[in-house]
Amino acid sequence: MSEKKNIAGGDNHSHDHAHSHLPSDPELRVKAVETLLLNKGLIDSKTLDELIDTYENRIGPKNGANVVAKAWVDPEYKKRLLIDATSAIRELSYQGRQGENMVVVENTPEIHNVIVCTLCSCYPWPVLGIPPTWYKSDEYRSRTVREPRKVLLEFGLPLDPKVQIKVWDSTAEIRYLVLPMRPEGTENMNESELAELVTRNSMIGTGLPKEIK
Amino acid sequence: MSRLHDMGGRYGDGLIPVPRDGENEVTNFEPTFKYEWHAKAWAITLAAGALGEWNLDISRHYRECLPPKDYVNFSYYEKWLAALTNLLIDKELISLNELKEYVSAVENGTLKKFSDNDIKLDQRTWLAKDVQKTLGWGGPSVRDIDIIPVFNIGDKVITENYSPNKDISGGHTRLPKYAMGRVGVIHSYNNNHVFPDKNAHGLGENPSPLYTVEFKSSELWGELAESQNDSVLLDLWEPYLKLFPH
Repeated sequence: MSEKKNIAGGDNHSHDHAHSHLPSDPELRVKAVETLLLNKGLIDSKTLDELIDTYENRIGPKNGANVVAKAWVDPEYKKRLLIDATSAIRELSYQGRQGENMVVVENTPEIHNVIVCTLCSCYPWPVLGIPPTWYKSDEYRSRTVREPRKVLLEFGLPLDPKVQIKVWDSTAEIRYLVLPMRPEGTENMNESELAELVTRNSMIGTGLPKEIK
Repeated sequence: MSRLHDMGGRYGDGLIPVPRDGENEVTNFEPTFKYEWHAKAWAITLAAGALGEWNLDISRHYRECLPPKDYVNFSYYEKWLAALTNLLIDKELISLNELKEYVSAVENGTLKKFSDNDIKLDQRTWLAKDVQKTLGWGGPSVRDIDIIPVFNIGDKVITENYSPNKDISGGHTRLPKYAMGRVGVIHSYNNNHVFPDKNAHGLGENPSPLYTVEFKSSELWGELAESQNDSVLLDLWEPYLKLFPH
């Protein structure tokens, strides 16, 4: 075969499915492909380390929590965040891969927002990092659009029937972040104290911020 | 028709695997990668993608095209690795013989990583010093072109039915089947984005207006919807939509 497959068809690639030649143990499977790519010079091990370190230690839900806390204390910032989330989030230096087009949706006493990706696992990396296992699970992907109230109950979040739920299915390259409501009794807390209350799940819509004791 | 990845609304799935702490309370804590091989499968997929031989839509379509029995049995990162392997072969970055050789080696315990001095990096290879810059730039899908969107905010639209991909039977699409042939309202217009139905098949970017469309739960799930007040919002490209009534 001298010409690369141009992926013209729905099913026309790899009819013999190259992946079927891989070992049954996934750890060995990854090892084989990784080593082959390294030895061919197509990937660099230092790049892999840098990538993993970035998302294990530097990019995660703390970023999103800082965005939310700033919106809670700064009404002008909140306005900018709801109009143009990508730019407002970039003000805090969070930007780029899987957050190129951000939209922030605000929870109110009347509306509760929940984020899902039914087709794959789209998730706002710059503000939340890599999605947790449950977000990528078949159960969450299949059920959230049809029965969000039952799903939220499993997260310990019973919702009043009067509250409207809006489920945002991330079917394109827009990435969503929920702006949860600021907990009561936090009037005297500063931005960094407030950020400590913002949980990852509260920014997906499957949880609420921590309450103050 | 659709594929297994298109699972929104289907029946049969059980409880969400919500992590809980020692007191059985929902916890937000979960390691970024549960096993080292998860991290590696993820990282080599990103690094190989940076070679520029395929785009995001192609890599998604490869995951979706895994045979149904594999799609069901594979865990998340196993799907990533299988799709990556198929892409590497189809794009001739590796050969099937090389793959078989490395698979035997890893199974026999004779797998050897060359010393760094013996590896000649490809000129396309993503270097560690460029990682932060590339991540910060991302992969924008908005295209600055002069297209006037057909629909206005508040317009009633109906989605395509049966097979949204007009070029390829079984081709990639981002219109989930639960929202096919349904009536919704244009909630917002979000600029012009690369159209996945073509881009996933090497047919060009064909940027097209992207809208957020709101569907009432009752429109999607009928009388048995959990609540008649709830709604689901999807980001849909103009070719998926027609004015309603049409």
